[in-house]
Amino acid sequence: MHIIKQLMAIPGVVAAGEYAYRGDRFSYQGALTDEFARMASILCRANTLSVNMQSEIFDSFAENCGCRPVQGWIVRGAEITVCVVGNYFAFIENRHDLLNDVMTIMRAKIGDIEDDLLVNLYARIGGDAREALY
Amino acid sequence: MDLQKLMELPGALAAFTYSDRGDLQAHELREGTEITPQMLDLLSRSCVANLAIAGMEARGWEAVTGQSGFQPLKGFSVVGLEWSVVVNGNSGVVIRNRDVDYEAAFAALQVA
Repeated sequence: MHIIKQLMAIPGVVAAGEYAYRGDRFSYQGALTDEFARMASILCRANTLSVNMQSEIFDSFAENCGCRPVQGWIVRGAEITVCVVGNYFAFIENRHDLLNDVMTIMRAKIGDIEDDLLVNLYARIGGDAREALY
Repeated sequence: MDLQKLMELPGALAAFTYSDRGDLQAHELREGTEITPQMLDLLSRSCVANLAIAGMEARGWEAVTGQSGFQPLKGFSVVGLEWSVVVNGNSGVVIRNRDVDYEAAFAALQVA
């Protein structure tokens, strides 16, 4: 079963989706409109790029320190938590043990994110990350 | 924040506090860990930045979508290859991924 369907089968998961390089290619299920899912995809992609940049800086201070490549990130809100692993996101309610379960499933199903995450995201829209933009 | 309490979380490698500007103020390190005070100092700065960005995004998301439940923020975590850093307010903890209990970490940081 696809991971988005698997996540949506868990009580308390509000929405789950997958986004591509620019955030403008996405698929999702759950309580989001198409426009909100597009916005969520762009937001997730921007934050993923940001934490990847930060981890590369860490790596320059302490090589192979164990933070790189970044696997994902979590924002804990008052009642909703956003979980991102690789190019998948999930909006979940703050229910007991749900965060741990969702992160375990996402890490297990998506697997370890390799260094080429951004190249793969870009390739999904037919691009080559090594080509010149201008 | 009681750093010793944070170090009692399963798999905790380091616990630290930082100023609003991101200066490392206090820290505890697990013996044998490769995490260094210099790394924690850098982490502190990124924690302040990421929490500020997440706060802005939460506020904007609620305003634009009309959805609620994102504010106030209860913390932020970056999941690395071998460890995760979980932060809230002016405190953070670095936890080995194979032992990590995110809910317990967020709850522990909530006490601050």
